[in-house]
Amino acid sequence: MRHAGHFVRLLALVVITVVGFLYVRSLVVPKDFGVKGHFRLSAIDDEGKREARHIGSDACAECHDEIGAAWKAGKHHIPQCENCHGPGLLHTKVVAEDSTAGYTDKILKQFPKAINPGTGITECKWCHLKTFERPSSLKYIVNVEKHITEHQGTFSPASRCIDCHNPHTTVVKR
Amino acid sequence: MSPITPDDVTRREFLETVAKTGGQSFLFGSLFVNTALLRLPQAGADPKSRAEAEVGKGIVYGFVVDTTKCIGCGSCVRACRAENGVPEGYNRTWVEQYTFYPDGEVFVNSPNGGENGFADPAPTRNKPTGPEAPMRGFFVPKLCNHCIDTPCIQVCPVGASFKTDEGVVLVDHERCVGCGYCVQACPFGSRYLNPETGTADKCTWCHHRVIKGLLPACVVSCPAEARIFGNVSDPESTISRILATNRVQVLKSFLGTRPRTRYIGLDSEVI
Ligand code: SF4
Ligand code: SF4
Repeated sequence: MRHAGHFVRLLALVVITVVGFLYVRSLVVPKDFGVKGHFRLSAIDDEGKREARHIGSDACAECHDEIGAAWKAGKHHIPQCENCHGPGLLHTKVVAEDSTAGYTDKILKQFPKAINPGTGITECKWCHLKTFERPSSLKYIVNVEKHITEHQGTFSPASRCIDCHNPHTTVVKR
Repeated sequence: MSPITPDDVTRREFLETVAKTGGQSFLFGSLFVNTALLRLPQAGADPKSRAEAEVGKGIVYGFVVDTTKCIGCGSCVRACRAENGVPEGYNRTWVEQYTFYPDGEVFVNSPNGGENGFADPAPTRNKPTGPEAPMRGFFVPKLCNHCIDTPCIQVCPVGASFKTDEGVVLVDHERCVGCGYCVQACPFGSRYLNPETGTADKCTWCHHRVIKGLLPACVVSCPAEARIFGNVSDPESTISRILATNRVQVLKSFLGTRPRTRYIGLDSEVI
């Protein structure tokens, strides 16, 4: 076999390529890749490790018991505390460190979408504004402009809804 | 032609033959692969595999959106952003406002994904009144459909998009290289590239909450009960009862992705 050397060299090349591939693969592919499919199994746990930021109204009511009870008994018990006040997780953490800390700017900064309660009528309109698409059979849908016109003199249009309506119970204050 | 002995073959001829036969078998093989890939999934064409995929393997999650109940308040969009730290300008869930006119025109609107609510009337056609006035309208919340046959998982080159046994489609943020193929592949616009992490991101049905026994943030925050989440393999669950007593639709059923997010009261104009 005059050309045996060619085959030996080719074979060596193949072996080196295969071994090299397997080595690099063992470095870059995680151990649990492919156990249940074409993915890294522990990625499910990684995703699950995230904290739940919305803690639920019952958790809020553990400390804010008076407001919690009033909210539960009133007509406004369908939207949850965190719908208007933002997620409570950071608040509970801050309070756990310093019990005098309230609903601080720090929390609002962390969750910029958290609503500063009672900043105006914009937040109320999110649910209560009468729009063309909202079924008028729903009693809580109000024509805000008409409502304000009707009450001219009772309050100036610059007033906020919560000046008259208790946002936790919907009871009219005056 | 006399038989070829090794001595007659030059190095060039040998390599040429190897390249040709190798190429041929590669082409031949890929023909099989391609025809297999071209067999488009047909919605409901294989009831057995559908049943297997959905029931009997423990928990399988489902999501129902009742468009007849949604009031377009945007609570779900705000809750989702806060819960999942979704960057400004991106959405995992959003709400669309549909307005129908007597002349057949349909206006679709989703300012900021509905996060700041909707104006009245919708900023359409110079607020026409009288016979020109819009005749019908509704809101449609959207989110990842957690499809059974997902184009987004198929295109991922590194196996960073995957489906759990419960039917939830997730992204492995450690493996994702941010190529954005899945963002393009999803026909529902459910995915985005998160500029903070550089990885693909999407609705997870709040997997991190669900495994702690909580409901997704959009579901707890919806005041209209327009969003229902639960275990569809348990016939006693709320979602199973809703699915059993309502006529439900999925988005873009003709694409055959078999979404697990189902809609009540979906109009044919909704895409
Ligand atoms: S909706 Fe889009 S991102 Fe969600 S599973 Fe289907 S294809 Fe994938
Ligand atoms: S929270 Fe509910 S009612 Fe409000 S926009 Fe979302 S789905 Fe619709």
